Amino acid sequence: MKLKEHWETLTWTWNPKSVRESSDSVVRNLLLHWFPAKISRPSLSFRYSFWLGTISAVLFFVLCATGLILMFLYVPSVERAYPSVKDIEFVASYGGFIRAVHRIAAHLMVVAVFLHMMRAFITGAYKNGAGANQRRPVNWVLGVVLLLFTLLLSFTGYLLPWDQLAYWAITVGTNIASAVPLIGDKIRFFLLGGTEIDQNTLLRFYVLHCFVLPTAVLLLFSWHMWRIRKDGGLACVDRLALNEKQKTSASIKTKTYSLLGITSGRTVQVQTSYINEDEHLVESSPALTRRLLLVILATMLVTLLLGFLVHAPLEQAANALVTPNPAKAPWYFLWLQELVADTTVHLGSYTVSGAFIGGVLVPGLLVLLLAAWPYLDRSSVHATGVWFAKERQRQNMVFLAVVLVVVLLTVVGTFMRGPSWHLYWPWQPWPETPTRF
Amino acid sequence: MKSMKLPSVPKAESNVTATVDVSGRRSFLRSLGLGALLAGLAGQLIAMVRALVPNVLYEPPRAFKVGLPQDFAEGMTYVEDHRLFIGRDQRGLFAISAICTHLGCTVKMLNLNQPRTVEIKGKPVQIQQEFQCPCHGSKYYGDGTNYAGPAPRPLDWYRLEVSPDDGQLVVNSSQPVHHDFRLNA
Repeated sequence: MKLKEHWETLTWTWNPKSVRESSDSVVRNLLLHWFPAKISRPSLSFRYSFWLGTISAVLFFVLCATGLILMFLYVPSVERAYPSVKDIEFVASYGGFIRAVHRIAAHLMVVAVFLHMMRAFITGAYKNGAGANQRRPVNWVLGVVLLLFTLLLSFTGYLLPWDQLAYWAITVGTNIASAVPLIGDKIRFFLLGGTEIDQNTLLRFYVLHCFVLPTAVLLLFSWHMWRIRKDGGLACVDRLALNEKQKTSASIKTKTYSLLGITSGRTVQVQTSYINEDEHLVESSPALTRRLLLVILATMLVTLLLGFLVHAPLEQAANALVTPNPAKAPWYFLWLQELVADTTVHLGSYTVSGAFIGGVLVPGLLVLLLAAWPYLDRSSVHATGVWFAKERQRQNMVFLAVVLVVVLLTVVGTFMRGPSWHLYWPWQPWPETPTRF
Repeated sequence: MKSMKLPSVPKAESNVTATVDVSGRRSFLRSLGLGALLAGLAGQLIAMVRALVPNVLYEPPRAFKVGLPQDFAEGMTYVEDHRLFIGRDQRGLFAISAICTHLGCTVKMLNLNQPRTVEIKGKPVQIQQEFQCPCHGSKYYGDGTNYAGPAPRPLDWYRLEVSPDDGQLVVNSSQPVHHDFRLNA
């Protein structure tokens, strides 16, 4: 059948019929070329990594696709932004759906990237293992930067609808930025393109959101994946080598590469293969590609389903004269807002602003500590790529405690803060507050 | 039956392969999953493309008022805001578009010193104006018929009506009419 033949010609790399074809697949297919020809079985495990990195990447591409369509329909002018969003919601066919998917994918991506970071920390995947010339701490720092960029992407996108929610959330966020000592006001001036949140701000955030940050994320993501290959694969692969080393084996001079990575240096280094390849490796096509397609399917299913069910909110048009009460930052910054509200310190006649302590100092220190942790970690190579390694128990517990505090602050900020930032139980009704004076 | 040999348990030999059975349930589930993914992607793509086809246009209306009928004397009057000519002869009022049918430039009107008779569709017609396009040299008779230059067809004639609320002339540029059309007003 001709149709079947055509289908085969197009898809054979995803469905190789021999080991030879499988190796050829990663050479002959553009999309598959960034995978190794063979991959270790532990890397494929759902329970090790939950494929959170893949999920984050899929969500990013969903955001790019839906965002592209929204770019055709949205107008980044202060007079026309809000009406154009209303057009997207109510006039353009599937506009509301595409916008809902975009918003859901954005929230899911923040969650996925954060969970991915947690998993990498808890499994000690930022640590070097048994391979030569590994630089996993570099990859970890790249990951932290990607996390920050994800949050920034979400933040810049939040302003674009130009409704009350957007305007005041960004007011809170940029005022926290101005609490940076010495240069805070200059930072705010540069970010806003002035002293007020106005046309300059909108255009600036639009360009950051649609071009600068996505390009930066794509480049860093490529580097992030490149580093995985250079480091010999996921951290769990190093365990195979370490376990194998315990058995006595004759060193065989074979022309294989260190672990599964490519050696560095100018001459080809002939090294012993550390792991029994037949035992631990499978062909990437179809083993990896199969699971990849499955994860893409599952992620798209959840995202599209939630896009059907959950409508993206649109409040009243932005009004610089009327502040909603309460005015909240986007949910991923609510823990910061909680800290800011709670950390104003009075030392005699001196007042240290909560914006500085809670908005700049504490999160700044946390991010620095997070990024630098691989260089401070003293655990041995045996804790690389292991869930809850005994050796790293204390650091894992402290890490989880900090995450728990952040989550709790976010929950309090979301569900328990009412007008004037007073505490309310989630079921307690809020009092009516006057919106105009 | 396609089969792919993959190592599933540690084996002593190095060139071993084990068989993965791709028939029956496995192949059905695979087709199901692939089909679902492709359907989802296709649906998303269709939605995205359809979203770019506008349902509502914020352009100016195609039917508009141009003034009272008595404001237009015998001969041709150019209505600048809408790129058209309102003409009046013995039989009544008519509207000719000033948009050249070649590439859309605005044509200029020439009043002829002496009216001349030309043949349009086999019948002799007396014309007192001509239209000429400055962009590529298209020439039209006073009734819009193209006789020289790259213009492929005559200038459009638009339907004229009188508005019931204030008696103004209404030009409907979405309704082209024949050269016989006249409005008695």
